[in-house]
Amino acid sequence: MSVDPKAPVTDSPATTEAGGLGASAPAPETSTSRRTWRTLSIGGLDLYSMWPILVMIIIIIITAVRTSNYLRVYNLENVISQIAPLGIVTMGQAILLISGGIDLSVGYNASLASIVTGLLLEHGHPLGIAIVAGIAAATAVGLINGILAAQNRAHPFIITLGVSIFLFGLDTQLTGGAPVNNMKGLYTLFGGTFAGGIPTVAIPLVVVVILTYIFLRWSRLGRQAYAIGGNEEATYLAGIRVKRTKIYLYTLMGLIVGVAGMVLAGQINEASFNLAQNYELESIACAVIGGTALFGGRGGALRSLQGVALYGVVENAISFAGLSSNYQQMALGVIIVVAVMVARVSR
Amino acid sequence: MPISADQPGNRDASRVAEGAPVPDAQPPTTKTLLDVRSVSKRFPGVQALTEVSCQVVAGEVHALVGQNGAGKSTLVKCITGVYAPDEGEIWFDGARLQAATPKQAADAGIAVVHQRMPLLPSLSVAENVHLGQLPTRLGLLDRRAANRRTRELLARFGLEVDPEAPVSSLTVSERQEVAIARALFRDAKLLVLDEPTAALDAAQAQHLFAVVDNLRRQNVAVLYVSHYLEEIFALADRITVLRDGRLVRTGRTADTDENEIVTLMAGHRPAVGADVERAPASPADAQAPSVRLQGVSTRVLQDVTLSVAPGEVVGITGVIGAGGHEIARLLFGLTVPSAGTVSLGGEPYRARGPRDALAQGVCLVPEDPAREGMVPEMSVASNISIVDLPRFSQLGALSLRRERQTAREYVQQLSITTASVDTPVRNLSGGNQQKVLLARALAANARVLVLEEPTQGVDVNAKREIHRIVRGLAADGKAVIVISTDVQDLLEFVDRVIALRRGAVVRDVAAGETSFAEILDVSVGAETGRAA
Repeated sequence: MSVDPKAPVTDSPATTEAGGLGASAPAPETSTSRRTWRTLSIGGLDLYSMWPILVMIIIIIITAVRTSNYLRVYNLENVISQIAPLGIVTMGQAILLISGGIDLSVGYNASLASIVTGLLLEHGHPLGIAIVAGIAAATAVGLINGILAAQNRAHPFIITLGVSIFLFGLDTQLTGGAPVNNMKGLYTLFGGTFAGGIPTVAIPLVVVVILTYIFLRWSRLGRQAYAIGGNEEATYLAGIRVKRTKIYLYTLMGLIVGVAGMVLAGQINEASFNLAQNYELESIACAVIGGTALFGGRGGALRSLQGVALYGVVENAISFAGLSSNYQQMALGVIIVVAVMVARVSR
Repeated sequence: MPISADQPGNRDASRVAEGAPVPDAQPPTTKTLLDVRSVSKRFPGVQALTEVSCQVVAGEVHALVGQNGAGKSTLVKCITGVYAPDEGEIWFDGARLQAATPKQAADAGIAVVHQRMPLLPSLSVAENVHLGQLPTRLGLLDRRAANRRTRELLARFGLEVDPEAPVSSLTVSERQEVAIARALFRDAKLLVLDEPTAALDAAQAQHLFAVVDNLRRQNVAVLYVSHYLEEIFALADRITVLRDGRLVRTGRTADTDENEIVTLMAGHRPAVGADVERAPASPADAQAPSVRLQGVSTRVLQDVTLSVAPGEVVGITGVIGAGGHEIARLLFGLTVPSAGTVSLGGEPYRARGPRDALAQGVCLVPEDPAREGMVPEMSVASNISIVDLPRFSQLGALSLRRERQTAREYVQQLSITTASVDTPVRNLSGGNQQKVLLARALAANARVLVLEEPTQGVDVNAKREIHRIVRGLAADGKAVIVISTDVQDLLEFVDRVIALRRGAVVRDVAAGETSFAEILDVSVGAETGRAA
């Protein structure tokens, strides 16, 4: 049976306009109105993304009014020295978070870098070779993280947690439990050293921040990181080699962690398994405080740096106020929760 | 069986044309379970339902049919409390459904079984059936009682699953039975089956029909929504036809035939594509098709042969699951044929993935822009350039200026409405998001474009513009394949329509030589193998 093309006229013309659209859900145009309130800007500056700086300024003013020596130069140097290694790691963590990834192995990986370098120095190898070897070790771990994460068999959270536990064992095995406590040339480089009036540890921090900024804004790989974090499926369908990109990004993270390990070991003249304890969670917290999305697609180098700065200032202000470090932990916990909730609301 | 008395005039199509829905053919002796009274529902820009009335009586299988967008799922959602009607009332079992929440509908005895059933895979069948009402003994779960009660229930309705098996170990068809059992356990009086055979093979479907028959005998009413008329004619006591959000007809299955139902679903449609210029068919093109599938089979497709020439727009249609999506996946390297050959410009073609397909000049615009197409947080410009980043970069460094400039050209060319090319694409309307994806396809510089549901969810004006853009692509010598379930829309701008049914080509015809009703008929009708 087949239908006569001149089908009987059974339609009233008024009904045809809804044809084809019919029962589909309301048009997605509602999304624009929902976020107009979000653009709380003054003179082109988006106050929302700047809130860590504003909170920081308030904390600085309060502490400066209440205590006398706070606004001294050496205290600023203190803050910078404290945040430098964490700031470097946070840049790498921000890149990974933007791409929808995460790295929980950074703490023990930074330690690994410092241990490799420390042991080589102990055996009388030149500083340059020791540094390159230390950073290479951390980069290799990053590569392994990347290869594992790119398989999409398990969430990188679990993969890098496993790698982290492995590294803990490796680190303690390499050092035999006792720290290497003479970093020789590395200590000369970063151990309370100043160059032109600024602590030398600030130099790698500034370099890494600038490079990360450029990487995220202008590099093809950086763009692919945003795309994968924003919508992995769509990125794959747009012809991006998602697996390869992930491997590159985790390897880059390893490289950055290696640099942080050098700074940290030189700063305190020690290489040990617990050198960078809690860096994994602190770097994630700092990136998120600064407005980098925990599940990918949004964020940036300067934003994440803001998170690090707020973190450092709070830590410093509390110790300056003579409160115990327990209060630091409590305050930082509160800030993290508030930051994540603010980020959630402003989405 | 509660088949109604004959009602004269029911089959008289001219009465329907007067806009007066035929009163229900329901006998006074049977109890009306569901009474939908003149329900209207509006969405922004769309009148989804207009004064639809329909009754379902206890113990009948009532089919709901209509084209895509006819209002079937909106009506189902009104009945099951997902949407509140703007006007009209819904009565169930003698009481009015007031609050219109899914819970209220469920409490009243209306249960939906749809394709994505919310079962807990790690729990057993019995636990899923009893969920929230598990029997306890001394405060502990009494699994034995739950298993026994489930077994009794399953046996009563001829359902064949093991009460103790974890749901994760079950097939799609068995899970469906669990969902039905759960509904029955809650004393559902009306079961809504929404495209229940879409994911089933023939044997599983047969078993489902037996289950539905059993439900009828146990005096449970079934509202059966399906694209496949053969199922409906095999199962339903009565059929309600919707078109463009209006009731066209409710009538006894025994009083009608497929021919008539297809005609009612299609209605009278305006002449095809009056305002679209089509490329003249050139014999040279026909000799060297851009894309050619020769006897291609996959898990979904069966011996598909088709070709698309440069400069031609070919529409591929069929109900969801008929194979259009599979052809898109095949061309884009997301699935491989188990038999047959695919060629591109005369050369054998095989893509190892999207990147490879793009490199060979095949670009896909996926059907769900939000999920598969765009990166919502990224700007319009970035969403366009992503398909060819090397073009916008030197030594790995992007030229944002060049990227923006190119994006601006496309925004102008395709009249994309956006504040700027830096606006996140999530802020654009559906039609403009679709156009951004078309711009990306242009940027990819592909020879073959595969567009999936390019006009889905966009307004009438955006539709026209998308038609124009697609014609423009073809005029530039590209081969365009439009995969769509919206037949009416396809007929307005394609050169040729290929209808698929259960993975096989059932019609391949010039758009000017066919009609909406014919395509609909071959896509959903019972007879197969009528390919030209």
